[in-house]
Amino acid sequence: MAAASTAGGSGGGGGGAGGFGAGDMEVEAYRRLFPLPFYERYLQNYVRPDARPLHRARDTSVALGPIASAHGSSSVKIGDTTMLAAVKLEVMTPSAEAPDEGSLAIEFHMPPICSPTVRPGRPADVAPVISKQLSDVITSSGMIDLKELSLISGKAAWTAYLDIYCLNSDGSLFDAALLSAIAAFSHLQIPLVSLNDDGRVIAVSGEQLENNSTIELVNKEKRKLSFQSIPFSLTCVLHNKYILADPTAEEESIMETFITVVLDSMGRLVSFYKPGGSVLVHSSTIKDCISLTKQRMEELQNILEDSTSAMEE
Amino acid sequence: MATNPSTYSPSQSSERKQLQQQRRRLFQETDWTRFDGRGFQQCRPAFLKTGAASAASGSAFAAFGATKVIVSVFGPRESKKAMLYSSTGRLNCNVSYTAFSTSIRGQSSDHKEYSSMLHKALEGAIILETFPKTTVDVFALVVESGGGDLPVIITCASLALADAGIMMYDLVSSVSVSCFGRNIVIDPTSEEEACQDGNLMITCMPARNEVTQVTLTGEWSTAKINEAMELCLDACSKLAEIMRSCLKEAASAPS
Repeated sequence: MAAASTAGGSGGGGGGAGGFGAGDMEVEAYRRLFPLPFYERYLQNYVRPDARPLHRARDTSVALGPIASAHGSSSVKIGDTTMLAAVKLEVMTPSAEAPDEGSLAIEFHMPPICSPTVRPGRPADVAPVISKQLSDVITSSGMIDLKELSLISGKAAWTAYLDIYCLNSDGSLFDAALLSAIAAFSHLQIPLVSLNDDGRVIAVSGEQLENNSTIELVNKEKRKLSFQSIPFSLTCVLHNKYILADPTAEEESIMETFITVVLDSMGRLVSFYKPGGSVLVHSSTIKDCISLTKQRMEELQNILEDSTSAMEE
Repeated sequence: MATNPSTYSPSQSSERKQLQQQRRRLFQETDWTRFDGRGFQQCRPAFLKTGAASAASGSAFAAFGATKVIVSVFGPRESKKAMLYSSTGRLNCNVSYTAFSTSIRGQSSDHKEYSSMLHKALEGAIILETFPKTTVDVFALVVESGGGDLPVIITCASLALADAGIMMYDLVSSVSVSCFGRNIVIDPTSEEEACQDGNLMITCMPARNEVTQVTLTGEWSTAKINEAMELCLDACSKLAEIMRSCLKEAASAPS
């Protein structure tokens, strides 16, 4: 049996002296057999087995443009959780109700490579839930003005297909997925298009423009999306009085109550999600979670800016 | 103008076809450098890395030009309940594509044919007796498809198996060649594959000089097949060298 342990950190160190029943049992075995007591001994000292303080998120990195064939793409790592997001634009005829608006289609995938619990043919239960949450947050936050995706009013508009793949699942999937979605949209470069004789929209390359100045472009200016406000999220796991920010998969499986807060860059609350769980929450805890999300938002804004400037260099 | 029920990609398909025909003609001449600047007998630059996914027992990432593949290996773990008792281990393979892997969106999901070919290519190399009653799962995700997908998947999968510590007789490496009229072109891109006359893929264990899988499609002459096989086997052993050095690097680097 060589099942992989989910946490990246070392099993050593730990609670230190004495304790109950542990004796000379190996730390790794104790962790597996009694996960909750194992964690509680850490939590008493306000530290986690991966050496993080309770409120600190894992190291986060964002890279833009890993998928050359997409119009916008990003890969995001939060600790060991890895996401890959890509936006592809296609042309559609806008609906009669909103003739000058484009549309978004967001899908979150958990392929079998991401976790030992996902088997081919049986998609993970959480994948459609996260999919729905993502589209709700992205549409309701008003981050993307759908009018910017319009090409010719009533005739043609962009549909942005955003596909997010979880490549390695180690907790806080929603946070990583949302960050990768934002990064992919910020990397999105809308292609130049013109109309052909049949009224279909066709792509125009730079070369063609130089050779043929008669091509009439439909979208000369609208090449990048301007964000009204950007949503950022933080998931916390609750256990007794402890709040653990950015949980790993192990922490999520042991402590079952979690809260996801989404704030936008103006500090407004976009979404608050606490799907049941054994811990009932006081309003002070909610306030704590929101202020933790505010701190995390500043971190994430810096990380996003760094990735954009790294791309431009 | 008729309303389109669904969306379409704005790239011009008619022009693409013309371009392909042009390519086809050019390929039949002998002196022609390929569109990515390679010679006929030159493989794409290969990038291999192990251990990218921590949730898996072993994993590998492979990028051959535009083709990018991730393979995770899980297990050996308990076989499905419905399975009968088996004194040897089982191998379970699955290949899927991302929605954005191909130029036309939405041709994703499971690839049954590649899944079974991957299984057959690896089966002979793995020492199944070392994990009786259990199953090893090999899952591949094609992130971007840029041609020669199956050989890259197989190569990457054997690297991931090695990373997971699954016992094998030898590393498995795989290379394909395309045939264009009089020319043989190694490690084709998807543009080249789209207009090829024939294709040959060899999967082998270079250190043992054993072939686990050969597929041959399209128009070939016997002399050509021999030439192509020589070319493939040579490339396979070179690829195995790269794989070996990748594993050595990963083993010697501090984790």
